[in-house]
Amino acid sequence: MTRRNFASRAAGPLLLGVPTLFLLALFVVPLASMVVLSFWRTENYHIVQDWNLGNYITLATGGPYVTFLIRSLVMATVVSVISIVIAWPVSYAIILYGGRYRLLFTLAFAVPFLTGEVLRVIALQGLLGPLGLINGVLMALGAAPLRFIMYTNIASAIGLVYLYLPIVVTVIYLSLLNFDARLIDAAKIFGASPLRAFFEVTWPLNLFGTLIGFALCFIPCLSATLAPRFLGGPNGTLYGMAMAQQFGESGTWALGAAMGVVLFLTSILAVLAIGMRVNLRRTGFTGFGRG
Amino acid sequence: MYITLDGVSRQYGSVWAIDRVTMGIARNEFVSLLGPSGSGKTTLLRIIAGLERPSQGRVLIDGVDVTELPPHKRGVAMVFQEFLLFPHRTVWENLAFPLRMLKLPAAEIEERVQWVVGILSLGGLEKRYPNQLSGGQQQRVALGRGLVGRPKALLLDEPLANLDRELRQEMEVEIRRHQTALGIPFIYVTHNQEEALSMSDRIAVVRKGRIEDFAARTEIYDRPKTAFIAQFVGRSNRFEGTADAGGHGLATHCGASLALPAPVLSPGSPALAFVKNEKLRLDAAGVGAASGPNRLACTVKDVILRGAYADYILAFGARELNASRPRSERSFLAGEAVLASFEPGDIDVFDVKGEQAA
Repeated sequence: MTRRNFASRAAGPLLLGVPTLFLLALFVVPLASMVVLSFWRTENYHIVQDWNLGNYITLATGGPYVTFLIRSLVMATVVSVISIVIAWPVSYAIILYGGRYRLLFTLAFAVPFLTGEVLRVIALQGLLGPLGLINGVLMALGAAPLRFIMYTNIASAIGLVYLYLPIVVTVIYLSLLNFDARLIDAAKIFGASPLRAFFEVTWPLNLFGTLIGFALCFIPCLSATLAPRFLGGPNGTLYGMAMAQQFGESGTWALGAAMGVVLFLTSILAVLAIGMRVNLRRTGFTGFGRG
Repeated sequence: MYITLDGVSRQYGSVWAIDRVTMGIARNEFVSLLGPSGSGKTTLLRIIAGLERPSQGRVLIDGVDVTELPPHKRGVAMVFQEFLLFPHRTVWENLAFPLRMLKLPAAEIEERVQWVVGILSLGGLEKRYPNQLSGGQQQRVALGRGLVGRPKALLLDEPLANLDRELRQEMEVEIRRHQTALGIPFIYVTHNQEEALSMSDRIAVVRKGRIEDFAARTEIYDRPKTAFIAQFVGRSNRFEGTADAGGHGLATHCGASLALPAPVLSPGSPALAFVKNEKLRLDAAGVGAASGPNRLACTVKDVILRGAYADYILAFGARELNASRPRSERSFLAGEAVLASFEPGDIDVFDVKGEQAA
């Protein structure tokens, strides 16, 4: 066998093998160990290797955990929908009027990322809190402070939108960038009003990108810890925040691992539920090649 | 006139992309807007469609001033160069789109789509998506989508530019047939003179945002009104020279002497002359007078066989001339000495400003 022949035969397994190993080491192994841990229990900050379903029974029947999960699902859905509603006109405006500054505008959205998540949430706390900029100004003017933005779920939602909007804008912007806007002209020529053209052409052809934006906002919102902790107040505990506590103060790692498994399965179910409803052909997805 | 453009202009920044265009198009007429790229012909089409607003002037369709109407209220249809089929819709749905926008009842939509599928031989493709079709099939669907709503006019923007030559010639015949059958005006934008000549009733030659001439296709080809048209339409030999004392003749810079049909030039003025390749008659050297006005002694440099006719590349002194002769005539070989000649009436003469001297 010649060397070249060997090299070309080895290239395939190598190219596939490296990412496979990478995924195994950094994704599958930690996930598997978390699943295993979730069936053990923790006692006085020690892991006891004693197979049982106790953690899952606690999660399913212990009142607060169900509440946290439902609250997180509602929160993640609301935040994702709001982000998409804001991101669409913003991305569309950048595409239409951005001209040669388009890229700059989208990058500007990413600037807050450079400061780190903790700083961004604390900055927002400073803005929304009782002595924050908004309420401070209101009170100085003699008006009543806005109570609904002081340590409430609404404050959490504002924080989460602020944190993940740049991702959604970027994804929808990229989707619109790859969209052939001349199709709108075609729809108009054949009798569609501008609004009709949007729903016949622009929306379906960017639905796939919009759903990716939704997922990329929804999933981190489910496991959000910082925003609810700093902004959410006493009734603002979300699932991800409760999970983080199991690994921190309370030291109930096994319960935390079980919460992680639940979160993981919930995210997968959510993505599947969306994915099953979408016919990719109907979004102009051409990744099938010529069939 | 069924469609009227009245002093239509379009300005981009300080540039007039369309400059005071006035033209009328009759019902039943097939009109081509022929011009080089960047001449403004597509802008003109988009103004008729309503996708662009004119800076000045009016557009009338069927007696109604539509200048201020958005495209979806104009009732015209368009076939685009890149087809622009809806990629998320099947062939059937693409064809039904204009009918759905007209809010026709389902039964009538079905019937009309079937009609268009029939006349464009799209049977069996109804459930396919555009990316599952060949270029030619996509072209037919685009044409079908243009015809299915029985529009007031069909605007075609270089619809055949992305097809290969054979398919293009097939489609030319077909497009013309549909236009005749439907009896609506087709306005066809192209930079390809063959397409314009093969289908049109009339051709508007567009240059730098203006209509250079708008006349019957034979008129455009046989009696070009300007030097630009003579150069752009058909294939010709171009001569530059100076008019003689009587204005009857032209002494060209390449050393030929042309006899003009009539004293059309002021004596001593510089002028341009064009003789179409197929008007150059070829005879073996030594038959008849060897020189004189409109008789050029040449040598065959190369012969390009086109099938029904042959293109000869001739050396006349230092320059090249082109002649195109049917194969039924005597053929010549490279290296042979020939006499190229033409009639005074075959010369199109212009003074250097480009206006026909006649």
